Amino acid sequence: MEEFFNKIKESFTDATLEFETITIKVDSTEWIETHQNLRDQFNLKFFSWLSAIDWDNEVSVGEAPKESVSPSFEIITCLSDLANTNLIIVSTSIVKSDPKIKSLVEIYAGANWHEREAFEMFGINFENHPNLEKLYLPDGYEGNPMLKSFELISREVKPWPGEVDVEGMPEESESDKSEDG
Amino acid sequence: MVNALDPQNINSFSEASVSVEIETEDMTLNIGPQHPSTHGVLRLVAKVDGEKVHDVKPVLGYMHRGYEKLAEVRTYPQITTLVNRIDWVAGFSNEIPFITGAERLMEIEVPERAKHIRLILTEMARISSHFVFNGAYALEVGALTPIFYAMEDRERVLDLIESVTGGRFHPNFNRIGGVKPAAGAGPTTKKDIQDLPAGFYRDTKVAMQKVIEAADQFQNLIGGNEVFKKRTKNVGVLTAETAEAFGVSGPILRASGVKSDLRTQTDYLPYDQFEYDIPVGENGDCYDRWDVRVKEMVESAKIVLQAIDSMPSGPLQAKVPKVIKVPKGRTYVRAENPKGEMGYYIVSDGGLGPYRLKVRTASFSNISILPNMLEGALLPDLIAIMGSLDFVLGDVDR
Repeated sequence: MEEFFNKIKESFTDATLEFETITIKVDSTEWIETHQNLRDQFNLKFFSWLSAIDWDNEVSVGEAPKESVSPSFEIITCLSDLANTNLIIVSTSIVKSDPKIKSLVEIYAGANWHEREAFEMFGINFENHPNLEKLYLPDGYEGNPMLKSFELISREVKPWPGEVDVEGMPEESESDKSEDG
Repeated sequence: MVNALDPQNINSFSEASVSVEIETEDMTLNIGPQHPSTHGVLRLVAKVDGEKVHDVKPVLGYMHRGYEKLAEVRTYPQITTLVNRIDWVAGFSNEIPFITGAERLMEIEVPERAKHIRLILTEMARISSHFVFNGAYALEVGALTPIFYAMEDRERVLDLIESVTGGRFHPNFNRIGGVKPAAGAGPTTKKDIQDLPAGFYRDTKVAMQKVIEAADQFQNLIGGNEVFKKRTKNVGVLTAETAEAFGVSGPILRASGVKSDLRTQTDYLPYDQFEYDIPVGENGDCYDRWDVRVKEMVESAKIVLQAIDSMPSGPLQAKVPKVIKVPKGRTYVRAENPKGEMGYYIVSDGGLGPYRLKVRTASFSNISILPNMLEGALLPDLIAIMGSLDFVLGDVDR
């Protein structure tokens, strides 16, 4: 992994290796070129997945980010080289007001369904996608469920007793006792 | 109106040459979502031109439960309950990459004994998943008998999983830092509770021997069947290049000749301590995909036998804080599940639950190749090709 990381670092100077995961950040305008380059020059031919993260300070469910973030969509792909076990996470950021990015279907055929999923779940438009329509959600469904602003209706109706569960786990209290003495 | 039976007319009729071009319209064929061979609720909309299939459109979402959204409102220990249900045929193996990811971010060193128990149960889940495939696939191509053998043999393995975890399909057995104290052990002291049930090693040895025998039996019963060979050989050929571009992984990829197995290539569990082969196919057809899985069952049984012989002693749990908070960071952990690469991309912001959890499942990418593979295939081959991909809809829709 170190060897591959050093090789990546020659081309992508801001590459990071944290928790055994190599991540590179690229500009959204270089999205296509980067993937072309990674596939052809670094032999990362296996398309693992594509997804997105909604960064927002105001959330309707879950926990808000602890430090303030600038609202944006982060788009992430994961590519790997099966013969040498190399794996890389490619990340880019796009603005929320006009969420669009070029489709990777031309380079990796497998990106097709992943982009459709990101389209319906986050509302991101993938330009030049051959068939950008809903994948899971029924026709006529409104909204993008994976947005942090999207309300989880069941949670609105009945709050989840999450805190109670956290306190009451039996094996946790056991390990706690052993720590005390 | 000319009377054809009139002998005067017969001459002229026989001299007339008949050349009629039959114009056939494309027929739209809907398969599923409640078709028994769709392993859940997959729906395919195919255009059929005579016997040839083209423009196949899989329609997903009948099993979509929104786990990625639900994970955002749950704490880390609660998420293991959810991920069990992604690929329900091999529930145990779904937990491993998630738990490993959380442990990696928390920088917890898991005790060796817990790792071995995880490894044994993961391999048992793989065996039980492949048993289901063997029975179901033979059924799909027209052989009724194998599923009865497969289900009976699988039950032996599920009994073992149940004796340790308390659950047949959804063990929910992994905890951050180790495994749950096993069910079914002696109730007397705390030490006894925290171990495998009595007689587990003995029963496992018997069951694994049976698995090896069963795989041999399948080679004769299914693989030796002329009809099965004719239905599967050179049907649905998948090249390695196409498979990689679509992210197809696991036994399907290995059947296409790529020797890639994350068990040896990554270190999520101590597979490097054991000796086993990675079965690889040659042609990438349906027969190879079946063959690779049967051989994998034998290898998994060998791994389990070696693992129980070299089981280290020690605790089952590392010391973890009472309330689990995962420090800020990101990691991607992937594992070789029965159906292929399964991975979790955990984005933690230092809270009780992940800020974002991306679940990469094997079946999703594996069946995204269906339109490509079924283009121009014969209608009777459709089920044979679909079945050979061995998907589960919970693993597709999440």
